[in-house]
Amino acid sequence: MAWIAKNSATMQIDRRDEPYLTLALKKQLEDDVIPRYDTRMAATMPALHLVQDTHGWLPHQAIEEIADFLGLPASQVLDTATFYEEYWLKPHGKYVIWVCQSLSCEILGQPALINKIKTHLGIEVGETTDDGKFTLMDVECLGSCGTAPCALVNHKLHENITAENFQSVLDALE
Amino acid sequence: MTTLKEPVLTKRIPTHPFGDPADRKLVTYDHYVKTDGYKGLANALAMDPKNVVELIKAAEVRGRGGAGFPAGMKWSFLPPEDGGRRYLAINADESEPGTFKDRLLIEFDPHMTIEGIAICMHACRLDTAYFYIRGEYHHQREVFENAIKEAYQNKIFGPGSKLGQINGRDPDLFLHRGAGAYICGEETALLESIEGKRGWPRIKPPFPAVAGAFGRPTIINNVETLAICTPILERGADGVKWFQSMGTQRPDDAPPHAPASFGPKLFGVSGHVNRPGVYEEELGITLKDLIEGLCQGMRNGKKFKTAIPGGISTGVLSTEDYEVRLDFDITKFDTLGLGTAGVMVMDEDTCMVAVARNIARFFSHESCGQCTPCREGTHWMSKMLSRIEAGDGTTRDLDLLLEIAGSMGALPSGRGATICGLADGANWAIRTIVNKFWDEFEAKVSSKRFVSLSVVGG
Repeated sequence: MAWIAKNSATMQIDRRDEPYLTLALKKQLEDDVIPRYDTRMAATMPALHLVQDTHGWLPHQAIEEIADFLGLPASQVLDTATFYEEYWLKPHGKYVIWVCQSLSCEILGQPALINKIKTHLGIEVGETTDDGKFTLMDVECLGSCGTAPCALVNHKLHENITAENFQSVLDALE
Repeated sequence: MTTLKEPVLTKRIPTHPFGDPADRKLVTYDHYVKTDGYKGLANALAMDPKNVVELIKAAEVRGRGGAGFPAGMKWSFLPPEDGGRRYLAINADESEPGTFKDRLLIEFDPHMTIEGIAICMHACRLDTAYFYIRGEYHHQREVFENAIKEAYQNKIFGPGSKLGQINGRDPDLFLHRGAGAYICGEETALLESIEGKRGWPRIKPPFPAVAGAFGRPTIINNVETLAICTPILERGADGVKWFQSMGTQRPDDAPPHAPASFGPKLFGVSGHVNRPGVYEEELGITLKDLIEGLCQGMRNGKKFKTAIPGGISTGVLSTEDYEVRLDFDITKFDTLGLGTAGVMVMDEDTCMVAVARNIARFFSHESCGQCTPCREGTHWMSKMLSRIEAGDGTTRDLDLLLEIAGSMGALPSGRGATICGLADGANWAIRTIVNKFWDEFEAKVSSKRFVSLSVVGG
């Protein structure tokens, strides 16, 4: 839900000396991304994606660094980052399982599937397993309705899944 | 009965009944050129840009992204060139539940879309194009990025482009990756997202053709709309006649300025059918032919109950509408339109209360929160429907549900209470389901399982 206010006023920000937006990433953005757009602000989403792809998630320090780099207030970058569902403002498991819950998937068996996954992993939706391996999320339509039910595991789409074959997919992951 | 004589959009993508989807593989630039690729662009470049716009206008190509707005007319809304930047935004944020047709074009034949993009840039004098692809399409994004690279290598874009300089600049095509927001499929929200902001739709006017991305004139088209321009231009002046030989004519009682439904269209069929998938057919194929012909009938021999004609926003058809013609004039069957032609078929065992609950949850999850009627209304409906489904509803809830649904949306049916059409989708979906399957809802609320203190809301 994009519009729910998240408390950031009283939050303590963890900081480290080493920047998240490294010189190499800055150079990559400056050379490849920023010339594509009319404003530096437009590079916000590509920059967030780049940092997230490098570090796995977006610590608040990284948001500040991106804001600094693009000449924006940190609140503006945070505003964009919190709106989109794919940006992680907290760490997640090694594998994120996104199970599609939209109509085609639901009428073809998603409710039973997600219950099986929950039992198998011992977690609820939105939680991470104790060993930090899996995070379970539900998501609206993944655009694979013809091969429902479907789920994304990190960047890989699994189609026509059943509780059994999906369990073996999960077990096969390191 | 299916009527399409030869595949058009799926010419290089094997699809039933012309080919086997198991044989699908990526069409590279070389393969594309060998099979008459980039001929349409060559024809377009030999023409005056204005004439290309006129050709698309004459063909009456209607937008394939959901609203069905005539593409040629949209292109002609652009103000005269003033030397500044002009943009094209390609909407590949395919997030409407039930829709997976653009994915096929992006994944297997990206150059057809790229050719359409180049034709549009030439015709409308647009120098920069952004291909806005939804965040969840990871594989498709990689495929399309490679295709863009091939296009640059072969001088479709970049310095020395075949298009020449446009507005004094080398034409460019960039991919912009979304990050999981349904609302960014709305054209002005998409522009906000390109500009690096949250995807909040803008109030129109000004329309994007006048002030769009970065405040400059911008055209926004769906992937399939641009892809379908390619085969039309490939046939040059004959393209119009060829395109209009497919589809359905303007209804007799329609005013002459109302566009007809010409051409082939991709239909993405999902749900309780034997062979779901993307099929290409002429506009105007009946739902019955689509299900019984191309999809090989209902699964497990069950009876047809209802279908959603084009993504959940368009509402549901009633059981009697089994032989409805799927064209842009489908609105007369009390739906919001053909939408994206993502047809969801449901059999007799489907619980419509659960369907309504799923749809309401979708809209409450995806509402951007900008307009109060939508932000509050979708959540209210979602909570009510969950409660009704759990067996704790009253008849009063059903009336209230219809009242809430009818009080949001940008169209007159939603009292013009919101900025964009997301609430119209919620409005139509919930109202059509409750009205057309009233008995089912009534049965649910009259067999109370328990009584709670929350009579209204939740």
